[in-house]
Amino acid sequence: MTTSSEKVQLPPGTLVKGKWNGKKYRLERLLGIGANGQVYLASLGRSVCALKFSDEAAELQGEANVLASLDHTGKKRGRVPFLLDVDDFTLDGRDLPFYAMRYVPGTPVSAYLKRHGSQWMGVVGYRLLERLAELHEAGWVFSDIKTDNVLVHDYGAVELVDFGGATAAGRSVRQFTEIYDRGYWSAGSRTADPAYDWFAFAMLWLHALDGKRLLQLTRALLPQNRHPGELMKLVRSHPRLRTMEGWMEKAFRGGFQDTREALLEWRQAIRSSERTAKSSESHVPGWMAGLLAGSVVLCAAVAAVWFLQ
Amino acid sequence: MKQILLITDGCSNVGESPVSAAALAFAEGITVNVAGVIDEGAIGEQGAVEIAEIAKAGGGMSRIVTTHQLSHTVQMMTRQTVAGTIRHAVNQELKQLFGLDSVGALPPPKRAEVVRVMDELEETSELRVALLIDASASMKPKLHAVEDAVRDLALSLQSRNGRSAVAVFHFPGDFGHLPCVLDCGWTTEAGKLHSMFTRIRMKGTTPTGPALLQVVDFIRETCGIIKSELLEPPHIERGDNEEVRSDYVV
Ligand SMILES: Nc1ncnc2c1ncn2[C@@H]1O[C@H](COP(=O)(O)OP(=O)(O)OP(=O)(O)O)[C@@H](O)[C@H]1O
Ligand SMILES: [Mg+2]
Repeated sequence: MTTSSEKVQLPPGTLVKGKWNGKKYRLERLLGIGANGQVYLASLGRSVCALKFSDEAAELQGEANVLASLDHTGKKRGRVPFLLDVDDFTLDGRDLPFYAMRYVPGTPVSAYLKRHGSQWMGVVGYRLLERLAELHEAGWVFSDIKTDNVLVHDYGAVELVDFGGATAAGRSVRQFTEIYDRGYWSAGSRTADPAYDWFAFAMLWLHALDGKRLLQLTRALLPQNRHPGELMKLVRSHPRLRTMEGWMEKAFRGGFQDTREALLEWRQAIRSSERTAKSSESHVPGWMAGLLAGSVVLCAAVAAVWFLQ
Repeated sequence: MKQILLITDGCSNVGESPVSAAALAFAEGITVNVAGVIDEGAIGEQGAVEIAEIAKAGGGMSRIVTTHQLSHTVQMMTRQTVAGTIRHAVNQELKQLFGLDSVGALPPPKRAEVVRVMDELEETSELRVALLIDASASMKPKLHAVEDAVRDLALSLQSRNGRSAVAVFHFPGDFGHLPCVLDCGWTTEAGKLHSMFTRIRMKGTTPTGPALLQVVDFIRETCGIIKSELLEPPHIERGDNEEVRSDYVV
């Protein structure tokens, strides 16, 4: 299997002049390598952007088409465009197709939660659902939600990358990651609908917060036993996820009216889970209560001894 | 579009060469993909070479994977082959009309238009995949994974907008006179494919070539003349001015 990672990388400083549109980019550094291409941080004059290169002209163009269509609907909401340019770079007499997009700073969601703590799950999830709601309302399903494709920065701001899998609602999902896929868990079809993303969204938290046990589970289960019920067992036995049990169950079942409702209920679930976390903190911890009881007994004993004397 | 997907773990040992059988299938408009499944150890060198050769002759691709990767690989190969077949047809059309090498040679705005049509075809064209499963003795421990992969593929095909169906064969055949057995004729329902290998009796021989030929016959008989309806090539017309214009009838 040949993957892009085996192909030559372009060194920092490379000047990339577009064959058709003539824009001149300077490559700063490699941002990531995927199955389909290489992504670089690049500068254009004084602005920065990300360039994605791939040998597969048609595939790359398909991705650019999705981005263009999203930008088109996003314009009405006052969003800045994501897709900036589509062109070819002539390298050693060969044309290498690429497109330029907005640079998305940030770290994959699981790394972010590890560094900053799982209390960020609420905000990050909220922002991500907001973004998904926009996509869904525009008739698209992201479909390949996974930790690498959800980048988080600055106090939980979220952006999605890799729209190669984005699928128009009603079409068959074209790119997915097995453990995030509801078909894999016998929980529904691979026809793109908002519920497909809800499922993967729920898996995102299971993967980010309880990845080890999730991977163990997928290895241990026979295919015919893969079922959301097994996932709920993990949820119920995890201290943080347990507080979101109701929401997670509904996401696995595809039980929301639409993504706005999922967003609203997410907010409520997060709020009430924070409240239970607070109230359990205000309780006197067991060891302290024990100490107190002990000292009361001691006191009484001392008093008794003193009284009897 | 027609595909044969061969799932095997090694070398053929009886009858015609599977490589020439695959070449014949391809000549009749059927793409042949091969998934080589291994447990832990590596596949024998001879087996690996044969697997690669079959796919090459059959115009398809081959992957050697563990049982865990099988489902995802089967699904990806099928999808990529559909995309590849369409790309090939479109490129050929572009060459004939404009003398261009490929979609990549078009200016980006035209490329965008052509790719939009290609994506449309990818989703809506009719697709049939005949699975041919090696059920010789060494495959026995892997058959659960194979069954899972077949169900998974059916699930993916079900979600396409275009009509899609799978058929399942295994080889060697039960009675010796036929190289392979039909387990399930063209179906669109994944649910139908439960425990399809219960009636398999393991035998030693691996008549990959003859089995491939039998599947080609089956496809020819059940799907009519294949070549002419392989893929309605999209019509790309020359505009009145020099600018390349595309116009599609899907
Ligand atoms: N706009 C962007 N800004 C910053 N980083 C990006 C951007 N786009 C992609 N990346 C980085 O590059 C990596 C690979 O990009 P991308 O996922 O698009 O490639 P791919 O070939 O589609 O990969 P995959 O194997 O996930 O399909 C991403 O995981 C991400 O880290
Ligand atoms: Mg990616």
